[in-house]
Amino acid sequence: MSKKREKQTDSDLVREVKQGDPAAMEEIVKRYSNKVYNLAYHLTRDAHAAEEIMQDVFLTVIAKIGTLTTEAYFSTWLYRVTTNAAYGYLRKEKKFSEQTPVEDIDQEQFLEYDWTNLPDDVLLSEESKEVLRRSIDSLPEAMRTVVVLKDVEGLKNEEIAETLGISVPAVKSRLHRGRLILRQLLSEYFSKYTEPSKEKE
Amino acid sequence: MNCKLCSALFQEFLDNSLSEELIVEVQNHVRACSKCRVSLRTYTVTVTLSRKVDPPCCVSRETLDRLRKIIRENFSKSRGAVV
Ligand SMILES: [Zn+2]
Repeated sequence: MSKKREKQTDSDLVREVKQGDPAAMEEIVKRYSNKVYNLAYHLTRDAHAAEEIMQDVFLTVIAKIGTLTTEAYFSTWLYRVTTNAAYGYLRKEKKFSEQTPVEDIDQEQFLEYDWTNLPDDVLLSEESKEVLRRSIDSLPEAMRTVVVLKDVEGLKNEEIAETLGISVPAVKSRLHRGRLILRQLLSEYFSKYTEPSKEKE
Repeated sequence: MNCKLCSALFQEFLDNSLSEELIVEVQNHVRACSKCRVSLRTYTVTVTLSRKVDPPCCVSRETLDRLRKIIRENFSKSRGAVV
């Protein structure tokens, strides 16, 4: 029974939910609760808010699933509902800051310092992950959402465009600028390893 | 290919969405230009590291149980209204 459920496509499940099958709804919750939670958490940075949002999102699914005409778009639709709910929360909490868009990143300004050669235990240290996490948090909202959806959650450009209701070129431009800022911040952080001042010899 | 165009193509390069021709052009430029070589590397590793930012993961057992209960209640309620 549950084996059968696991093999069903999202489209099948959505169709069954529309027909009123509670077990299909359970399967959707099982499949997507962590994804919805993670996305909400990345966007709000608040575990409690993420739980509330997750609950609202699934209630919205129940209430609105009838309006979803193309069943195959379920996951994209779900991401959009989640993003909107997270934005709603941020606005309500006045945490939605339209920071000055960083339009003027000088793409010509390459950093000569190649920190990618640093050993993995530096690149992948808890500290560097924390730096990156904070850097992502510090991105202007519009860029942060795109970077989280693409680079952290692994969505495709088209899915992100659909989720946020913006064009694919807009996704790409926000993503590129976001990544350039992150790279800049990482370069600054890793530059402390530039001097070979390690007490090695 | 100049440096500006080269760096503007990094994203598509990583997405594997460039034409064969442009891939070769980017590769050739990067081979010859140390600035862009470093730039592509740091760009690429920035993306790789973002993938490794741990998801806060996972919804706790209690939260999930509570969610399930709420979903069940609301689901039958909404069905009751519709059917
Ligand atoms: Zn160059």
